Amino acid sequence: MASSTLEAGGSRRHGGTLYEMRRNIWAYIFIAPFFLLFAIFGLFPYLYAFYLSFVQWDGIGGPASQQWVGLENYQSLFRDDVFWKSIYNSIWLFVVTSLNLVIALLLAFILNSGLVRFKEFYRAAFFAPIVASSVAIAIIFSTLFGERYGALNYVIGLVGIAPVDWLGSAFWIKPAIALVVIWRYFGWNTIIYLAGLQSINTDLYEAARVDGAGWRQIFFRITMPLMRPVITFTVILSIIGALQLFEEPLLLAGGTASTSPGGTDRAGLTVLVYMYSQAFQYLEFGYAAAMSVALFVIIVVFSFLYYRFLGREEA
Amino acid sequence: MDESLIPNGLSRRRFLKTGAAVGGLGLAACAGFSSEGEGTTGGGAAGGAAGGSGTPIPGVSNKDVEGKTNITVWFWDAGLKYAVTEFNKTNKDINVKFVKLGFDDTHQKLLTSLAAGSGAPDVCALEIGLIGGFAAKGGLADLKQAPYDAGEFEEDIVGYKWQHGSAPDGRLIAMPWDIGPAGLWYREDLFKKAGLPTEPEEVQKRVEKWDDWFQLGEDLKKKTPKTSLFADAFNDVYVPMVEQQGHGWFEGNKLQFVEKAVEPLKKAQEVRKAKIDADIDWWGAEWNTGLKKDAFAGMGIACWMQTGLSQSHPELIGKWRVIKAPEGNYNWGGSFLSIPEQGKNKEAAWEFVKYVCCTKEGQNAIFKSTGIFPAYKPAWEDPIYDQGVEFYGGQKTFRLWTEIAEDIPGNVVHPNDRQAGDIIGNEVTKVEEQGKDPEQAMKDAEAEALKRIRDIES
Repeated sequence: MASSTLEAGGSRRHGGTLYEMRRNIWAYIFIAPFFLLFAIFGLFPYLYAFYLSFVQWDGIGGPASQQWVGLENYQSLFRDDVFWKSIYNSIWLFVVTSLNLVIALLLAFILNSGLVRFKEFYRAAFFAPIVASSVAIAIIFSTLFGERYGALNYVIGLVGIAPVDWLGSAFWIKPAIALVVIWRYFGWNTIIYLAGLQSINTDLYEAARVDGAGWRQIFFRITMPLMRPVITFTVILSIIGALQLFEEPLLLAGGTASTSPGGTDRAGLTVLVYMYSQAFQYLEFGYAAAMSVALFVIIVVFSFLYYRFLGREEA
Repeated sequence: MDESLIPNGLSRRRFLKTGAAVGGLGLAACAGFSSEGEGTTGGGAAGGAAGGSGTPIPGVSNKDVEGKTNITVWFWDAGLKYAVTEFNKTNKDINVKFVKLGFDDTHQKLLTSLAAGSGAPDVCALEIGLIGGFAAKGGLADLKQAPYDAGEFEEDIVGYKWQHGSAPDGRLIAMPWDIGPAGLWYREDLFKKAGLPTEPEEVQKRVEKWDDWFQLGEDLKKKTPKTSLFADAFNDVYVPMVEQQGHGWFEGNKLQFVEKAVEPLKKAQEVRKAKIDADIDWWGAEWNTGLKKDAFAGMGIACWMQTGLSQSHPELIGKWRVIKAPEGNYNWGGSFLSIPEQGKNKEAAWEFVKYVCCTKEGQNAIFKSTGIFPAYKPAWEDPIYDQGVEFYGGQKTFRLWTEIAEDIPGNVVHPNDRQAGDIIGNEVTKVEEQGKDPEQAMKDAEAEALKRIRDIES
């Protein structure tokens, strides 16, 4: 087969690839389901969302009612101060919730150090918030955050601090959301870090100890450098996750008959909550799609900046 | 210089790694847009949670019946099953399958089905707060046209409700089903404790103006300092005072923020400053605890609250009384049944819609079991409407609701009501939490709405 391709004048390299593909046909068949599913449920929606960002569409009239508007959605987006406010809120939440990575790394280090008993219990306990339903979490936390009867205000009241309107005031809503997010995701990162720590060869620690290194030196000179790829992975996942916060802000600052999504002065409005409102409540599918494309670009830029300046292995 | 700054220096491995990371991000970033419809439930405190495929309801079959025309209906309250069971028993040709979805899911799944061009049910319920968005052409059938001819029922339906189901161009996009006549509720036991009049007639006589209601609040607080008259001035005063002027934020294409909201906001702000309300937000855990601890003795709310409160606070059954709101009646909530254009069994769908919305039996089958209040006036002739209601300590509140319903101003809903409501809501939070001047707030809200919403004027 390969020789016939060559005779037909195809390049040697091209024929080689085709030949290789035929030879490995079963391997391609076995990996095909993923690519097929991805094309249907992944690639198509992304491309469709990209296309939608150039139309004006309320959805009600079906696909026939789409109107091509070119770059109009993007032009409005750049002038939309609520969009920029939601970007600011999301970045604020990303920066503050990064704290969970620090907590997770310390906890993983302690769990791995052999100083703690019942490791499995702690591992499971830390991970539990991840599998809890977000509606249940929202109910529990809105109870904790209650201004008058909330447990949190009771506790700070014991040390003489006046009650805080956690979910009502524009100042406290973001810290309140951040607290829930940190609580929810630190366990996930702890497990990843723990896996990373366990893959570090213990010979290195022993050698360091023989050479007289203390805990601190071991942590910063051996653990941290070897953990760098794992940390990079979690940071990039955090960037993606934090810039796409949706359930927590929606449930804690959702809006009722006399308010609006995001709570007081939209202080808790994240990009995704705004996008959701535009698409499914204001029926501006094109505008929401433009927003999703803009968010995509922002996430790529942030991840790339991190990767470029902090996440690389040293030469 | 760092080697990797030069493109050629990018090793193949590094390039692939970056590419993979960026690719992965792309998936994640866009997935946020495409996957929302299924998994999550929005809507905050009031929204109910539900799965994508609907919750099975005991006693109601979800299966096709051979030899009958099978139709599907989506609604968020299990209470519809009483009408479905009755309809399936008596109708020989049609079998109704009832799929219960969450409140937000019902609207959202209908919206995505319309957008996709397929997947909509034969009959779908809509709520007053969200119906405006479905007014665009091509989605829902105009029930005034053949084969529906809903026009013959216009006289039998509560006036304002008929308007709410109509699009600005005059099409009837959904059949009025239930209404939310509202009034001022108070706790008889707490009024008695404070030495205030307790009989609804007496209280009603005392409350001719809103200011009388607030005076009552001050009297109550003087006697029982831990109990306020209501929880949140912005839900118990501002919302009723706005709704008294008719639902919605537009007159034609003209914005009504300043006209409708400035006075109610000033009132609510005054009441908050005078510490007449308990300053507890509605619907949340705080509100529930406050209710248990007698932090407030009343509220401004609609008839459907009876169902929820009977379940969440059964210890208060018999203690509630209701009077009409001073200076005008109002409506809060209520739903409609729509027939999506996609459906293949439109005539069967219409038979079911007619049964639920426009027959005494259908309406009252649901009302008697759930309290979902009929918009169909002939249903009110049933003797049950003149009986005392245990929940309200024997007060004849059903008759009161019908009286209120006949005296509520109408308004045509606008496709952008939801967005307008959010824009104004944002300014309302500033008035409430930051003491912003109501007049300035409403001017800012109008300016923002004009910037965001197409084809409207101030």
